[in-house]
Amino acid sequence: MNRAAADAPCRCETLGVSAEAAAILLAFAMRESEAPAVELGSALERLDQRLRPATAEASREVLTRDLAACVRALQFHDRLMQQLAVIRNLLTRFGDPAHPLPTMAGFGAQRWEELLTELRERLAADTHDDLFELLVRTGGVGTPGGTAAGQAEGSSELF
Amino acid sequence: MARILAVDDSPSMRQLVKLALSSGGHEVDLATDGVEALEVAEKQQFDVVITDVNMPNMDGISLVRELRRRTNYRFVPLLMLTTESTAERKQQGKEAGATGWLVKPFDPDRLLSIVSKVLT
Repeated sequence: MNRAAADAPCRCETLGVSAEAAAILLAFAMRESEAPAVELGSALERLDQRLRPATAEASREVLTRDLAACVRALQFHDRLMQQLAVIRNLLTRFGDPAHPLPTMAGFGAQRWEELLTELRERLAADTHDDLFELLVRTGGVGTPGGTAAGQAEGSSELF
Repeated sequence: MARILAVDDSPSMRQLVKLALSSGGHEVDLATDGVEALEVAEKQQFDVVITDVNMPNMDGISLVRELRRRTNYRFVPLLMLTTESTAERKQQGKEAGATGWLVKPFDPDRLLSIVSKVLT
């Protein structure tokens, strides 16, 4: 066996790190989408509280119907989160037992950054930089690239 | 108008349950899991408790079992609101003392009508 082949990570190691990166990517995505869904729910509640007393009886029926549609539709966000949580948990089973994933609930930005730095060190030698870059861009923390991607969200440009 | 405790570990679901119930004129308090729900339920009396099943720290079925042990919740309607719909889980809920089992996603009108039905 030549030296390059001997130094290359085995397929199972590569899969393990990829799975770990994918699990973290999912955790990031779930974390980012929770707050907007909650904010949307709060906004609906405020709208309902303000509009209902001032609305005529006929319009109130429409308001109630539309509100019910919003409540039904928004629940699919929760369902998606549950499905993603199951996938995240499945992915963590493929991870390296020597690097068990920490419980990510309640992580602050600094802790995410530490996690990303640690993952970057382990990913640097293999072929999964693309996955990691996606992870960093989605998370919006940890690297200047990630920060730039975060700042670009919602921006517009005219030429 | 009833005083209702809604228990769910998902912030968005808590919000939606609260929105649906408060639009029907009910007063709604929230808890994030079974442990917090027990603490809240001991401090104040609720007319109805609506709980998710799968939650950290204490799940909904254990919460129902614990509430039924308390004399002031022996006859209070306890509704499960969950994505689970297997006969086995429903049976577990029934044996724990649940009054009803609602499967997510819920329809706000249906939820309000069930609450009104269990209160009568």
